[in-house]
Amino acid sequence: MELFKPEFGLVFWMFLAFACLYFILAKWAWPFIIKSMDDRASLIDKGVAYAQEAKSQLDNAKAEADALVADARKQQADILRDAAKMKTEIIEQAKAEAAVEAKKVTDAAQVSIEQARKESEHQLRQDVGSYALQIAEQVIRQNMSDDNSQRALVEKLLKEVESSN
Amino acid sequence: MKKVITAIVALVILALMAWGYVDSASHGSEGHDSGKVEPKEIIFEHLGDAYGWEVPFSHTRKIPLPIIAFAQDGSLHCFMSSMVTSGDSYQDGDVVFKISTNEESGYKGKLVQVLGDGSEYRPWDFSITKNVLGIMIAAALVIAMAMSLRKWYKREGMKGPNGFKGMLELIIEFVYTDTIKPIMGKEAPKYGPYLLTAFFFILTMNLLGLIVIFPGGANLTGNLAVTMVLALITFAVTNLTGTKHYWKDIFWPDVPMALKCPVPMMPLIEFLGILTKPLALMVRLFANMLGGHMVVIVLIVLIMVFNGMFGVGVGAGTSVVSVALALFMLVLDTLISFIQAFVFTLLSTIFISMAHIHGEESKAVTE
Repeated sequence: MELFKPEFGLVFWMFLAFACLYFILAKWAWPFIIKSMDDRASLIDKGVAYAQEAKSQLDNAKAEADALVADARKQQADILRDAAKMKTEIIEQAKAEAAVEAKKVTDAAQVSIEQARKESEHQLRQDVGSYALQIAEQVIRQNMSDDNSQRALVEKLLKEVESSN
Repeated sequence: MKKVITAIVALVILALMAWGYVDSASHGSEGHDSGKVEPKEIIFEHLGDAYGWEVPFSHTRKIPLPIIAFAQDGSLHCFMSSMVTSGDSYQDGDVVFKISTNEESGYKGKLVQVLGDGSEYRPWDFSITKNVLGIMIAAALVIAMAMSLRKWYKREGMKGPNGFKGMLELIIEFVYTDTIKPIMGKEAPKYGPYLLTAFFFILTMNLLGLIVIFPGGANLTGNLAVTMVLALITFAVTNLTGTKHYWKDIFWPDVPMALKCPVPMMPLIEFLGILTKPLALMVRLFANMLGGHMVVIVLIVLIMVFNGMFGVGVGAGTSVVSVALALFMLVLDTLISFIQAFVFTLLSTIFISMAHIHGEESKAVTE
């Protein structure tokens, strides 16, 4: 029963063959193959993670863009509303300023008119005074011959005054 | 429908085989005078080692292989096996070699040196026998497979291989990433190459053994010498790299004092465990592969036996049944080839990792 009796020659060659096989494969094959497989596995894992991240970023980007557009719309509306408000304010202000200016002008005019009136009144008073004095002088000069002549004189003088005015 | 066609074709082939058998048996009965079939001889001749490699359809023509032997006086002799396989003696220098036919000496079928007084001396025999060449072919195939995968990665980088290389990668992934790595942890890169080498070597030898003709057909893993070497290597790796705690657990395990002090019962059991582990590895692979081969050969020899006992008709009928059963056995053996290679690797991994304990328990107690 040679099957159950290990043959020395076969043991020797088996050991030699296995040792050679081990040294060749352990040096050149297995570490390199395992490293390559691990590298590829990690590359695939990384790729999956990257793709997922990219997808979520893409989704986020869309949401962000939408938010930006909405924000811009809101700002635009605000600006337009502000502009309208500002326009009315400016108009109001201009109106008010114009009114104030006009009032100032009218006031100044009124003052000058008043002054002129006062001056002319003053003038008139002086003129009337002087005329009255002249008339009184004349009346006194003609003296009291008769009442009629005096009265005629006064009448004549008054007519002169009237005509000179 | 496809299955039915396949079954019919298979049956037709089997029927043709039976017919062919009857035909050849009736022709061969004249030329072939050896009417008596010796099943035991045939079976062990096929399962055992040989000095030449048989080619199909001929029992006498063999591929000659080199014989390397150290004679009794220490001289080295090399010659081709074709000089002695026919039963002749061969004189190389002053030394005469022949293949022993002596039943009593225990060297039957082996190369012996015929001494001057006619007695036989078994020389130191380093011949490249059928099994040795089979081992070398298997080793070359494993190297070719691994190197082709290496070349692929060198050339293609990150691209995944397909076809045969893809299958290889799948097996490596299964054995290394899914089995060795979880068991060994961070020591996996150190022992992974040995375990992977063992796995692929055993697998290739198993599968080569199932191929009937050259370069297969050598019963490699069904030979105790082959499995013994593999088991001894695992044994050596396990015990030479074992940690202090591994040896402590064997000679002074954490058991009640009565079990280890006056009579070292537990240390003895643990020590026997060291020896039974490689023994189990060796015998499991050997017996599984030998059993598979033996069943197939017995089924085939059955045809000749029944033919001799009951005549050609029964032999023809048996051939159909036998071939169908042998085919089933071979398919089963293909599965067993994978399983046994994997089991050997798995157990080696577990044995080695068990020898690398760093005493977590004892550390936990002192802390």
